Amino acid sequence: MSNETDIKNKIKSNSSLFTNFVKNAVSASPKVQNNFLDVSTQVALTVQRILEDANLITNLEYKGKDFWSENKCKTSCFVDGGVDKTSIISSAPLSIRTGSYIVKPDAADKNREFFEESMVFLGDLYDPKNELYDFAEDDFDEDQMLNKKKDGARIIFEAVTIVKHILLNRKFDYCFLHGPIEATVMPFTVMGFPTFTKFAVENMLPFYNKNKLNAEARHFINVYLEALNSIKKSKFPIYGIVETSNSAPYIKNLLFNYKSKGTISEKDFKNTLATIKKYKITDSHLLEIILQSGQAIKPLEVKKQIKGFSVTSGSAWEDKMDSFPSVHIGYIKINDHSAPIRIESLNPSKNLIKDYEYILATARLLPNYGFPVGLNVVDKFAKIPNWMSKASRKYYATHLLKQAIRSKDQNTISLAVKILSKKVRSWRNRPLGGLVR
Amino acid sequence: MNTKKWKSIGTVLGETNISEFYFSLKNYKAKKGDIITTESKIPSSEGNIVPVTVWGKISSIESSNVFFPTEAAQELTNENIDIRDTILPTTRDELICKVIILGFTLKDNLKLMPLNYPVRPAATVSYPSSEDVEALLISDLDSEHPLFIGSLLARDAVKIKIDADNLVSRHVSIFGMSGSGKTVMVRRIMDELLKKKYPMLVLDIHGDYLGFIQKQKKLYPKNEVKLFYPNLSVSSDDKEIIYTLIDKLGNSLTDPQKDFLSSLLEKVKYEGGSLLKYIELLVRKAREYASDSSKSFKNIRPASMYVVVRSLGQVAKKLKNMEQTNFRHRQKMSKLKFEELPDAATEPEKIINKGQLSILYLKGYENLPASAIVSILLENLFKHRQEVEEEIPPFLTIIEEAHNFIPSRSEDKDNLPSVDTIRKVITEGRKFGTGVMIISQRPSRLDETIASQCNSQIVFRMVNQKRPKSNY
Repeated sequence: MSNETDIKNKIKSNSSLFTNFVKNAVSASPKVQNNFLDVSTQVALTVQRILEDANLITNLEYKGKDFWSENKCKTSCFVDGGVDKTSIISSAPLSIRTGSYIVKPDAADKNREFFEESMVFLGDLYDPKNELYDFAEDDFDEDQMLNKKKDGARIIFEAVTIVKHILLNRKFDYCFLHGPIEATVMPFTVMGFPTFTKFAVENMLPFYNKNKLNAEARHFINVYLEALNSIKKSKFPIYGIVETSNSAPYIKNLLFNYKSKGTISEKDFKNTLATIKKYKITDSHLLEIILQSGQAIKPLEVKKQIKGFSVTSGSAWEDKMDSFPSVHIGYIKINDHSAPIRIESLNPSKNLIKDYEYILATARLLPNYGFPVGLNVVDKFAKIPNWMSKASRKYYATHLLKQAIRSKDQNTISLAVKILSKKVRSWRNRPLGGLVR
Repeated sequence: MNTKKWKSIGTVLGETNISEFYFSLKNYKAKKGDIITTESKIPSSEGNIVPVTVWGKISSIESSNVFFPTEAAQELTNENIDIRDTILPTTRDELICKVIILGFTLKDNLKLMPLNYPVRPAATVSYPSSEDVEALLISDLDSEHPLFIGSLLARDAVKIKIDADNLVSRHVSIFGMSGSGKTVMVRRIMDELLKKKYPMLVLDIHGDYLGFIQKQKKLYPKNEVKLFYPNLSVSSDDKEIIYTLIDKLGNSLTDPQKDFLSSLLEKVKYEGGSLLKYIELLVRKAREYASDSSKSFKNIRPASMYVVVRSLGQVAKKLKNMEQTNFRHRQKMSKLKFEELPDAATEPEKIINKGQLSILYLKGYENLPASAIVSILLENLFKHRQEVEEEIPPFLTIIEEAHNFIPSRSEDKDNLPSVDTIRKVITEGRKFGTGVMIISQRPSRLDETIASQCNSQIVFRMVNQKRPKSNY
C-alpha cells in the first residue's frame, strides 16, 4: 500500500479528523469540503517527508510492569489550576486555586503521595479592595475584560505554583503542568488590563524586589515573564502537557525552518500555510495520521510570543515579546485512537527519550483517554466543585441583599432583588430585534 | 464521662435528620457496628438551647477513591502492574459512614433519650471510650442478677448485660434466619442462667443442646444436667388429646363414628400411664364391641366401629414408629445417658429443680405427637406452680423451633394441643414464675398472642419478612 493510500485510509478511519471534516462541512464551501481529504493527504505527505528527512520521528518503548518497577523511585509533581465559573450580575466572584499532586511510588504510605493546595484566591473582582487586581475603571468590554482577568489569574497561579516548588528546593524528578508551559500573553497586552496588587505580587513572587513594585512591574506581562524565567532555571525537568492542539505551531515552524534552509521555496511555504489556515489543519490532526502509537516527534524550538499581531502592535508591550523564552514543542502519540499530546518545555531535554517514555507510561495508565494520569488526578483535585460554586454564589447574594436592606432605601432593595432574580447575563435579557410578535 | 478524651474520627456531612446522618471517616478510625457520638444542641421545652451528646451506631461504610480512574484498573490488570509501583494515588480513599441515631444524653446523665432535633452538619464525630459506651448501654441496669450476653461486635471491651429476672419472668423471643446465631445466643443465656442455678427445661427437637450434657462435668460441675426422652403418659381425662391425635394421625371420622369414639373413651377406664398402651387398650375394647354385635351400641353399625378400630390402630402404629425413630437416634449417641421423662403430674421435681437443666430430646417425633407431649408436660408443670408453688421452683422453658409448637394460622398447623397450653403459660406465667423463651426464624410463623407476650425480643438478621408488593 502506498503512503498516500495509507494516509487516506487513516484519515477516513480517524475520529478526530472526522470531527474536523464535519466542522469544515458546516463552515466551509462545498468545494473546500470536497477537497478536504485530498488536501489533508497532500499536507500530511509533505510533513511526513520533512519529518522523516529531519529524523524527527522516534519510537518510544513501553514495557508496563518492568517500566514501573524501574521507575517507582522517581518523584513526580503534577500541577493544575481550577476556576469557579460563577457569574452574578453586578459582582464578579472568583474562586481560583492551583493544586499539586506529588507522588513517589516506592515511599512508605505516609510519604507516598501529597495533595497540596498551592495557591488560592476567593474574592470579588469588582470589589475595589480585592487583593488580586488593582481596581481600574474599565472602558474595555466588561465581560471580555473579566474573562481575561480570570484567565490571567489562572495562568499566573499555575506558573507561580511551579516557582514555589523550585523556591522550596523540592527534589522532583519531573514536574508536569496541565496545559502549555508558556501561555500566549497577547490577550493581556490590551489597554486597560489591570495590574496585580502589591499584596498579590509579593505573595506570588516573594523574591521580587519590593522597592521596584511599580505599576509596570506588577503588570501581568512582567510578572508572568519573571515567573517563566524562574521556571527556566529549574534543576528538574518541567513539562507542560496539552491535551489537544488547536493550532499548528510545530508544522508552521518546521516549514519555516525548511524555508530558511532553502529546502522549500517561499512560494510553497506560503501556499502550504494558506492551505493549513483554510482547512483549519492543526498539529494534532496531521500528527495523528503520521504517527503510530508509541511514536513521538522530537521537539522544535518555537517562539510563542510574536511581534506584529494586531492586538500587540503599537502596544507598550510590543518590545517585551522578544524577552519571553522560546518553547520546545514535541508530540507523543499515546495510542491508536486519540490525538497526540503536545509536550512543552522551556529548556531542551537532557534525557529526551527517557522523559518522553515516562510521559508515555503515565498516559498509558489511562489506556483510552491517553493522557498522563497524574494530570488527570490533579485536575480532579484542583477543580472547583459545584457545591463550592453554589456556596460562593449564596454568599455573594446574601451579602448584596444585606447591604441593600441596611440602606433602608426601597429602590435599592428592589434593585438588589431584581439583580438576584436574574441568574446570569444571557441572551434572554437582550432587547428583541425585528418585529415583535 | 469525659468527652474531651474521646478521639475525633470524622465530620458530619450535608443533610441530617433525627434518625440518621452520614459522616466522613478518617482512615481506619472506626468500623461497622461501632458506637460513635457527636455533640449537638436541642431546644428544651423551656425554650433554652441545651447541649447534648448524640449517640449513634455505624450501620454501613462506603469507600471510594475519586482520584482512581476505572480505566487505570484495566491497564493494571492487563499489564500485571502493581499499583504501588505507579504514580496512581492509593491513599485517598474517602470513607462515608451511615449512622443510625440511638438517641441523646445530657451532661452527667447517661439515660438515652430519643432525639427530636437534627444533628449539626459539619460537627465533629468522636469515638467514645469503651467504659463510656458500656456505661451508656447498661446505665439503667439495676439488677441483682445481671446476665452477660456478649460484647459489642465492633468493640470487644464493651460488655453487654441484661437483667436475668426480667428476661426470665417476662418471657423472651429470639428471631433470626437460619444460621444467624439464635442457638448460640440461647446457649450463652443458658450458660449464664446455669451459673446462677436457675432451673430450665429445653424442648430440643434437633439435639442442638446436647453439648450441655457433654460439657457438664467440665463447665457446670455444680449443676444437674438431665437428658430425657418422651414418654407419653395420659389419663382418662386427656380425651381431647386422643381426639386430636385420631383427627390428625388417623382417618377422618363421620359423626356416628365420632359418637362411637366418644362413648368408647367414656366407657374404657384407664388409670393413667403410657399413651400408647392406652390407645392399644382402646383398640382392643373397640374391636370387642364391634364383634359383640353392638349390644352396648345399638344405634351404631359394626362397620362404623371397625373404622374407629382401624383409625386407632393407625395412630398406635405411627406413635410406635416415632418412638422407635427416637430410640434409634438415641442409640447413635450411646455415650449420653438418656432417661425416660418422668411423669410431670406425679414427679415434677425430677424435671424442674434448682440448678437443673432438663433437656427433652424430641428428635424423630412428628409435630402433633411432639405437641401433645409438650402440652401435657407443660400443663402439669404449670399446674404445680399454680397450685403448690413450693413443689417446684420458678423455671424457664426454652422452646426451640417454636413454630412447631405454637404456629401461626398461616402455617396451616392449627389445633395443635401445645398452642393453648403455651398461650396459658405465657399469659399467666409471670405470676407463677414460669418464664418462656421462644426461638424461631421469624415472628410471622408464630401464634400472634404468644409472640406479643414476650417483653424482651432479641432479633437477628431476617429477610423476606413480608413478600414484596408486586407492581402491576
